[in-house]
Amino acid sequence: MTSDTHIGRSYQFKTATNRLGLWLFILSDAFVFVGLLVTRFYLFGGERPELNQLLGFIVTSVLLLSSFFMNRAETAVAHGDQRTFLNGTLITIVLGSLFLLGVVAVEWQIAPFGPGDNAMASVFYAMTGFHAFHVLTGLIFLSVVYRNGRKGLYTQGRHFPVEAAAVYWHFVDVVWVFFYPALYLMGTVAG
Amino acid sequence: MTENIENKSKTKAEAFQIGLTVLIVLGSLTVGEYFLGNIAPVWAAPLWGIALIKAFFIVREYMHLSRLFAEGEEVHE
Repeated sequence: MTSDTHIGRSYQFKTATNRLGLWLFILSDAFVFVGLLVTRFYLFGGERPELNQLLGFIVTSVLLLSSFFMNRAETAVAHGDQRTFLNGTLITIVLGSLFLLGVVAVEWQIAPFGPGDNAMASVFYAMTGFHAFHVLTGLIFLSVVYRNGRKGLYTQGRHFPVEAAAVYWHFVDVVWVFFYPALYLMGTVAG
Repeated sequence: MTENIENKSKTKAEAFQIGLTVLIVLGSLTVGEYFLGNIAPVWAAPLWGIALIKAFFIVREYMHLSRLFAEGEEVHE
């Protein structure tokens, strides 16, 4: 076994181990979101808070679009296309920031209730707030990846941090896939 | 060499195409659930079904869950 092959297999082993750790973290984090989702149905039942439907649809679409660009960025770096990787990551950061602003700066401001008004309001702010915090950490993670990418630290063969950032970002998207109908669509508006 | 580059380029194009197809599916489902939720918000089951399908596509195609179980990991060297 040559030295290069040994190094390659060592990196391969580390990547597989890191990937397992990443997925275990995501699984454990998912339990918290499942808990919040169960809380929503236990407390509201067949009712939902009065929210801006169009805004909910727009922020959801923006987040889905950001996942597409992150997937594109990861695919690009895996094929040695640095320019598409950097552009995709940057667009993901911009779209993620728009989602965050849409929820925290717009939805929270126009919602006709405050966090302390009742149980339904508290759960709404807890769900969107906890998710928004994950979006924020995802944006920080992506910014680090973008900065390192500009320095040329990721290659076609070595880019696990990009994969990790992408998987984390898509996880945040998956959570919203369930939160969006649970908060905006399911049930009748509480009177 | 040229053939190798062409194959690699084609693979990238295919991967991009899959990503775009998934986006179109996710977008269509989101539009569908938006209208369903506004027309018949008490129908929770179809909305759950749509959410599960969307999550399936994201986990499978964007998060690449299968990589976790891949035995012959591609050597990035």
